[in-house]
Amino acid sequence: MMKPASFTYKRAESLEEVFELLEEHMDEAKIIAGGQSLVPMMNMRLARPAYLIDINNVKGLDYIREENGRIHIGALTRQCDLEQSPLLKEKCPIIPHGVTKIGHYSIRQRGTLGGSLVHADPSAELPVLASLFNANIHIASSEEQRTVPATEFFITIYTTDLMPTEIVTAVDFPVMDPHEGWSYQDFTRRVGDFAIVSVAVTVKLDQEEKVENMRMVIGGAETIPFNLQEMLQSYIGKKADDEWLTSLAEEAVSMLEPGSDIHASEEDRRELLHVLIPKAVKEAIQRAEQKGDRVHG
Amino acid sequence: MTEQTREMKKKGEDFSVIGKRIPRKEDYRLLTGTAKFLDDMEIPKALHACFVRSPHAHARILSINTEKALSFPGVVTVVTGKELAEWTTSAVMAPPIEGLYPMEMTTLPIDKVRFDGDPVACVVAVDRYIAEDAAELVEVEYEVLPAVTNMFDGMKEEAARVDDQLPTNLVSHQIYEYGNTKEIFAQADHIVEATFSQHRQTHVPMETRGCAAVWDEGRQHLTFYVGTQVPHPLRTSLAGRLGLKETQVNVISPDIGGAFGQKIALYREELTIAALARHLKRPVRWREDRMENLLAASHARQDYVKTRAAVTKDGRVLALEAEIISDFGAYSFFPANYMARVIAMLLPGPYKIQDYAYDVKVVLTNKCPAGPFRAPMAVTSWVTEGTMDAIARELNLDPVHVRQINMLREEDLPYLTATNELYEDITPYETLEKGIAEFGYGEFRKRQEAARKEGRYLGLGICVVVESTTYGSEFYKKAGIPGTGHEAAWVRVEPTGVVNASAGIMGSGQGYETTVAQAVAEGLGVNPEDVSIHLGDTLLAPYGMGSRGARGAVAGAGTAYLAAREAQKKVLQIAAKLLGLDDPQLLKMEGGNIFRRIENEWVQTDLTLVDIAKTAYLNPMELPEGMEPGIEIHKTYDPPPMTYSNAVHLCEVEVDIETGKTEFGRYLIVEDAGNVINPQVVEGQVHGATILGIGGVMLEEVVYDENGQNLTGSLMDYLLPTACEAPTLELVHFNTPNRKTPAGLKGMSEGGVMGAIGAVCNAVNDALSPFGVKVEKQPLSPGYIRSLIRNKEAKNR
Amino acid sequence: MDKVGVQLKVNGETYHVFVEPRKLLSDVLREDVGLTGTHVGCEHGVCGACTVLVNGKPMRSCLLFAVQMEGEEITTIEAIAQDGKYSALQKAFHEEHGLQCGYCTPGIILTFESYLKSNPAPTEEEIRDVLSGNLCRCTGYQNIVKAIQKAINAKGDLNGEEDRQ
Repeated sequence: MMKPASFTYKRAESLEEVFELLEEHMDEAKIIAGGQSLVPMMNMRLARPAYLIDINNVKGLDYIREENGRIHIGALTRQCDLEQSPLLKEKCPIIPHGVTKIGHYSIRQRGTLGGSLVHADPSAELPVLASLFNANIHIASSEEQRTVPATEFFITIYTTDLMPTEIVTAVDFPVMDPHEGWSYQDFTRRVGDFAIVSVAVTVKLDQEEKVENMRMVIGGAETIPFNLQEMLQSYIGKKADDEWLTSLAEEAVSMLEPGSDIHASEEDRRELLHVLIPKAVKEAIQRAEQKGDRVHG
Repeated sequence: MTEQTREMKKKGEDFSVIGKRIPRKEDYRLLTGTAKFLDDMEIPKALHACFVRSPHAHARILSINTEKALSFPGVVTVVTGKELAEWTTSAVMAPPIEGLYPMEMTTLPIDKVRFDGDPVACVVAVDRYIAEDAAELVEVEYEVLPAVTNMFDGMKEEAARVDDQLPTNLVSHQIYEYGNTKEIFAQADHIVEATFSQHRQTHVPMETRGCAAVWDEGRQHLTFYVGTQVPHPLRTSLAGRLGLKETQVNVISPDIGGAFGQKIALYREELTIAALARHLKRPVRWREDRMENLLAASHARQDYVKTRAAVTKDGRVLALEAEIISDFGAYSFFPANYMARVIAMLLPGPYKIQDYAYDVKVVLTNKCPAGPFRAPMAVTSWVTEGTMDAIARELNLDPVHVRQINMLREEDLPYLTATNELYEDITPYETLEKGIAEFGYGEFRKRQEAARKEGRYLGLGICVVVESTTYGSEFYKKAGIPGTGHEAAWVRVEPTGVVNASAGIMGSGQGYETTVAQAVAEGLGVNPEDVSIHLGDTLLAPYGMGSRGARGAVAGAGTAYLAAREAQKKVLQIAAKLLGLDDPQLLKMEGGNIFRRIENEWVQTDLTLVDIAKTAYLNPMELPEGMEPGIEIHKTYDPPPMTYSNAVHLCEVEVDIETGKTEFGRYLIVEDAGNVINPQVVEGQVHGATILGIGGVMLEEVVYDENGQNLTGSLMDYLLPTACEAPTLELVHFNTPNRKTPAGLKGMSEGGVMGAIGAVCNAVNDALSPFGVKVEKQPLSPGYIRSLIRNKEAKNR
Repeated sequence: MDKVGVQLKVNGETYHVFVEPRKLLSDVLREDVGLTGTHVGCEHGVCGACTVLVNGKPMRSCLLFAVQMEGEEITTIEAIAQDGKYSALQKAFHEEHGLQCGYCTPGIILTFESYLKSNPAPTEEEIRDVLSGNLCRCTGYQNIVKAIQKAINAKGDLNGEEDRQ
């Protein structure tokens, strides 16, 4: 089966129209933005919405801007625009870098930020990045507008906090500190595949080269992007030496319960994380040190 | 990585068109979107079919209820195996081969399904979308049976029976012994054992299968459109199973989007569509979707081989034994021993091994049926060359040295192998020497040593390939396999002096419209742009055996070349008459112009092929006495029992011990495919075959779970190599002509697969050697490499 | 399910088609518009054979519904050669044997016709990265990469003379 089941197509021109349609059709409706995850599932008839609500014509959901030290991105922003954004390249370079790992060039021309977040594949790049910055996910319905931190937005694989009458409209997250280093490491069998596991890290060092601030998220190892913020607290304020790093990687991996599939076993995933975590942290620290040098020197 | 392609000096005759790099004639339509593939054929009022497929690996069909589907708007009919059994006959595979059980299958299964994806019903509707909607409404009641999902278990007494008609799942078993292996093994200095497991793969042509059938009720005639490598043999099977005469069926193959062996057999779906068109008296078409293609078209390569070599302490191989077990899947579209036997036959490779014994078992399982896949014998080079490496490892010798002391040299040729194969005009030793020198073997070993000190693990793999290319009729006869190896062609010089030609082969990307045109142009003495090749229509093309193996050059282009030579003979006789000469020996034609030998010089005359053709067709009274009008030559040709090409692959890898990931370094191929018609096309074939082999070794794998569910039904799960996983290949060509074939051609296109499998596995083993582990199965996934190291570390602890 | 009227702009021409909303753009282009150069290879967005340009950007037409495409400019392979003359890219594919069966070729040509406009001088690594979105089973990719590189150089040499635009 590679042809979708029948549906009624509704093109929404405004958010109000989207809300109306969602309220009318509830669980029977599905929103299509880029469709790069949804349409394959529809073609295989694994998803069969009775109503397809196309939001590509809704105005005002496609932007990338900075306000009060935070980056705001509209949900309908195409992945290729995230990749090319001068603002992101300057203020949040891990995002354009991470986005280049999404699928392939032509997938990114159509795929959107919101679509990827709502699809909630735990190894996908945008959920990992949203979780890394614990971005505010802006959610709207006819009733209310609310924001949910990314770490609470992702519930389990392919499942989010979004209600049937709601739509994701935007995300916002803090700009990176100019002194912050970062790294996005992933492991795939082929270029462009979903990561078997991935690690996203930001690190900021203080004047004494101690870790002042750090974020880390693991993709592909749990049913959601796994944010290690709590665990990291005991590693902050310390010198990032070998012992520190070994201990950090050990503890991080010990907290995860990765699954097995045809591409990698649980054990493979653990071992890969033992390699990728130190690699990512080292690269992030290196970048942080370079930035530090520039500032001091 | 730099790319380099060099041609070694030719030893053969001088050709003016053969051997030229000519950009392909077929490119224009393919580049501009105007080519006609099966699904691009406009067939007015055609209905669309969709098959209902089994979700179980093995189950009895208790009932099929088609009522709901039939009442769905837009549905024309729904049929099952029962109806089809009335309209068609079963396929019987019963070649006279000792140790092989005959097998029979109905057009669609009636009593039970035998694999996940087995078709049980066919819905015909006004379009494919509606056909799919209705297919969901067909209710099939199954009684699930235990499934045979592993060939080793399948051979056990207690295993479920895949084919109820057979007493066992071991559908084929042969033992052969050449020479005296037992005695030699008893006395050998060393016995080296090695095992090789190759996994299940599938062809994945970018264009899936498909067909369209148009029944003409008034003429009682079927036109069957299908992308097939073998239009005529397919027509014979199709007519036979429909109970029609071959005069009532025409098979037309449009452009084919890749085949790789998957488009040879008459598939059950195709026969169903043809039968439906006749039954409904309406055109019916079917295009397989990708999921069906991955689950249910044809699989290949699932072989296990164990070798034992009796060797002297200095590494000389005295005798060889091989046990081959092959997973054949659930049905027999080909004789069950067909592919495994060739593996065994070729296993001694380029080495002087006269004492050789093998045991070949082929096992039925509840999986998609096996069929030939570009280099069906592919595992053989890995086995031979992996055994050579195993000998080197165990005796602590250099792997190149072990090859050199055992390998055939020029003075040994022609050489009759243990399995009675005749090697002639091949150059394994010379190409190996060239490869070693070109690669810088000694320098590599130094680099490898230095890298290891830094914790980087490089490896070099060598694989010497002897590729069986063109199978003559004598091969089929000897093997007891139905079919022959001959081929047919016709060449017509038309009244205006342009040339139409055809042969029984059918291309699926090989560029025949260019290479066969070159062969005809060479044989006739015209420019290739004045030659047009027409393939794939059984009313137009002469009855030939089609495209399989690597027979396109020797059988296809070779026969066309011979036909063109005959045409030239006639042309020159006419020319002699027109020039008032007695002897056409003093004439030749090049570029359509007649040249005359005056003293020691060839001098161009005013006469051209245009004049001669005009005479032949429009003024036959001017022809030499007794000559028939027109210039139309039909020719058949039966190649030698087997033609061989050879190559050496040298592959450098780096294995990341921490992640298990393998990266490619240099990849060098020294290839000897004899005289080549178009070097550019040959290079393309080497590239394609090698990367297909690499895909198989590194990424591709059909995975069934323990219940026989296929877990790799999408291209997200069945991993084809992309441009980022494909290394750049350096090629060096030798061109040693075959003295027995037309124009010294040998053919090629499968050796790249064979070489890649062997070279990559050997390279990874070389990289892993400091860890005392070796790969014995594919694919070489990071997980597998890690598991080897992990297990070793656990043991050492 | 009921069919709906859709107005499509393909290769500069307007087509009025009457199709079910669920009908994929790939199928509508092939069956209703009659442009069969767009090939269907997997219908789940992996192989890239069905790539077309939407407002100049390469996209998988098997992941778009025709009904979504009103008001968009669609370009298919049929529009690339002009008056029977190859584009620089097509010419290079022909000369460098960058295609064999040709089934994946239209998707690759369209992807790079677009990509080379936004990045006229990519490295081999960049070429391969973009090409990784299009599967080819015949060529091993080597001659495709070579052809793309040749087209890039040809454009440079000719100062865009060979360019269709």
